[in-house]
Amino acid sequence: MEIKTINTTNISTFFNQLVQSGKIVIAPVLKKSGKIFFERVQSYNQIETDYIQTAFSAKSVVFPKVEELFSYSKTTDNFETKQSLSDIPETVVWGLRPCDSAAFNYMTRFFMDENPDIYFATRKERTTLIAISCAKSDEACFCTSVGLDPGKTKGSDIQLTLMGNEYYVEVITEKGLSAIKTSESLFTSSTEKSKEKYLAEPTTKFSIEEIKEKMQNAYDNVAWGQESMGCVGCGACAFACPTCTCFDIQDEGTGENGKRIRCWDACGFSQFTKHASGHNPKPNQTARRRQRLLHKFKYSVENIGMVSCVGCGRCIRICPAHLNIFENILNVTKA
Amino acid sequence: MKLLQNKVAELFKNGTINLMIGFKNALNKQVVPCFIENSSQAEQLIYTADCKNNLSVYLHKPEVKKIKKVGIIGNIATLRSLIQLTSENQLWDIEQTILTVNEKDEIILFKNMREVETYVQTYFPENHTEEDKKLLEYIDSLPREERWKYWMEQFSTCIKCYACRAVCPMCYCTQCTVECNQPQWIKISSETTGNLEWHIMRAMHLAGRCIECGECGRVCPVGIPIHLLTTKMNQELFKEFATRPGFSLKGEYAMNTFKPEDKEGFIK
Amino acid sequence: MRVAKITEEAPLIQTYRLEFVDKKEADEFSFKAGQFAEYGIFGEGECTFCIASAPTREGYIECTFRNTGRVTKALADCEENDIITLRGPFGNSFPIEQWYGKNVVFVTGGIALPPLRCVINTLLDQREKFGEISVYYGAKTVNDLTYKAELDDWANRGDMKLFITVDPGGETPEWKRYIGFVPTILEQNPPESDNAIAIIAGPPILIKLGMPILSKSGFPNNRIFTTLENRMKCGVGKCGHCMVGKTYVCKDGPVFTYEEILKMPVEY
Repeated sequence: MEIKTINTTNISTFFNQLVQSGKIVIAPVLKKSGKIFFERVQSYNQIETDYIQTAFSAKSVVFPKVEELFSYSKTTDNFETKQSLSDIPETVVWGLRPCDSAAFNYMTRFFMDENPDIYFATRKERTTLIAISCAKSDEACFCTSVGLDPGKTKGSDIQLTLMGNEYYVEVITEKGLSAIKTSESLFTSSTEKSKEKYLAEPTTKFSIEEIKEKMQNAYDNVAWGQESMGCVGCGACAFACPTCTCFDIQDEGTGENGKRIRCWDACGFSQFTKHASGHNPKPNQTARRRQRLLHKFKYSVENIGMVSCVGCGRCIRICPAHLNIFENILNVTKA
Repeated sequence: MKLLQNKVAELFKNGTINLMIGFKNALNKQVVPCFIENSSQAEQLIYTADCKNNLSVYLHKPEVKKIKKVGIIGNIATLRSLIQLTSENQLWDIEQTILTVNEKDEIILFKNMREVETYVQTYFPENHTEEDKKLLEYIDSLPREERWKYWMEQFSTCIKCYACRAVCPMCYCTQCTVECNQPQWIKISSETTGNLEWHIMRAMHLAGRCIECGECGRVCPVGIPIHLLTTKMNQELFKEFATRPGFSLKGEYAMNTFKPEDKEGFIK
Repeated sequence: MRVAKITEEAPLIQTYRLEFVDKKEADEFSFKAGQFAEYGIFGEGECTFCIASAPTREGYIECTFRNTGRVTKALADCEENDIITLRGPFGNSFPIEQWYGKNVVFVTGGIALPPLRCVINTLLDQREKFGEISVYYGAKTVNDLTYKAELDDWANRGDMKLFITVDPGGETPEWKRYIGFVPTILEQNPPESDNAIAIIAGPPILIKLGMPILSKSGFPNNRIFTTLENRMKCGVGKCGHCMVGKTYVCKDGPVFTYEEILKMPVEY
């Protein structure tokens, strides 16, 4: 790990040099709707710098909303399939929050565990994550409740923290080092500094160790009904969430030519678990919402030892009924 | 608020309702739906101009229908939804208690759907915000190709989360057209043409039924003003058939009623 | 895979014998009893079925399925020599090596026989290694029984105990075997649990009624096996569709002991 600083007046130069390097640079952009999304940009003046959190996560860089797995075409007496992983470009994601970087960590663990996902692996390998520590938070943020904090560097290749008229730069990985290589002159070496007084202070809602324990017995709690009443069964939370990884697989084309794609799916949809026979093991929204929360705070822990929630609060902000995940968790773990 | 909270507590105590669907304060200064199951919880209830959700969508839920005696508080859009849903025979299995708060901050407890109908018919509320009106004017002003480009650009950002469908009180089909796979009418993955097909199909299914609560546009995670599609649809239908959804319990709306005097200019 | 042979088993149920198009793939492919594969038709999608033939029989694999939905209909429309796709084998398998010297009891019904038929034939191909083999199998009517010819072969072997039944009213005048629901026949002819393994698979009602009978006969939960079905897409434990609690049916199953089933939420 290397510690540096860069003056705020030079940050745009660094950014623009990243664009000029030929890599695809994705950064937060303010849209006409007033929401902020990660989008491909060509220069620093296109990006939004004053925000708490983007509406959607940056997971589409490594787990796109629609991804071609392979294409197929009929030959005289058989079929030919083609994969196009070589087309995936080098990408830099700028302006992630520490919660988002930690989410990439979770996704890596999940996708590479047991049956490694080559599509994810290729994209992740070609992605550099430059995160910016949080100076502000809102009431939906709860990263400190899930073992993270507004300055944590877990998962980031480079992490920037604004300290007055300069950014404190933690270059954590080899990838991070190679990203600043051509702009080295803009940076100054530094000693380790404390970030604490420059960081937001989101309130801690619960102790994750306590919750992990209590979730063991939460399945039968009658509170699930009340906590799920507001859920209308859309996929907004799952699609905005940086750790949700469920997907559908579809063939698009004819019997002779086409492609097999995977696209985002959500356990909140009523058809997600429905059998061809018509039997649905999760027949109501209560069962489906319970699945979502238990998956994040119990099943992920049991399967790969990680809670699959980073406390970014996107689900709360984007939900049509603003269902509050940490309130739900607290209520279903009450005795 | 106290009056409302007391009124609702009373309704629980005298057994009129076993569930109250209303609004409460939440984080980030938001106002969110709340589901109250006994009189002691009534103190959470609030009602302000920020109460925009159309709560009638929750009356489709089997969990709510099971409770049967359900109270609901609504703004004008919600009341119109209730009328439209009643005219489409979707609320026969719920004993509703309907409340609203008028501009004088008076709490109105409707005795039956007829009273709701009368109340709504005396109002001709302007549902649309200034922003909406400006945007609609702008889109209307565009030449055809530009209008097409505008919408295709919007639909390219659609992520097929179906939040628009999920919050719409009129989307109550237990199996949506997109959930049929023999044949797969509209592809599942998000892609501009497919997304266009989805939104146009939904607008067609809502033609003459949408009461323009604007919820679909409000909840869209990517900010597509899709509520304007059905608003425009309704404007066109009113021009042709002089009907508006959500005002009459009779259930005669443009796309399900035939009158001999209907224009047939399209038959040449 | 090339469709080598099609057998009509019962109304809407067919067995396809599949052979590899590429000899190298045929040589490299191997599977264990209990594993499944994703069978597909390009342009339509994929479907999950167990591999219904025994791994001891080389050169081909078989799958048996009912024409129920989009992909099974497309599969059913195939003819001999058509090409379909196969991904697999996936999942865990029955621990057959642990059953040497033991008696094995199979309880199943209708179209749940295919996964068990794979195991039965695997045992029969090494008959001397196992004790008594009993099969309790039934269907709604005589016509609905799958593997009719094989059932006769098994009966004629003389080294198996067979209890083949049809539901009351499902018999034909020539029917000489049992009449009654499978759990009833199981209860009337309870299997010996000493030094025995039981495998039960079938619709929820069969499991619900059959499991207690096996328990009453003395089978402990870790000597009762079942194979679960759930909606699947990827087959490798990533897409999330088949999750039951923390368990991915595709990756951690589909074979489970009843002891493991009891630890899961009832979401299958």
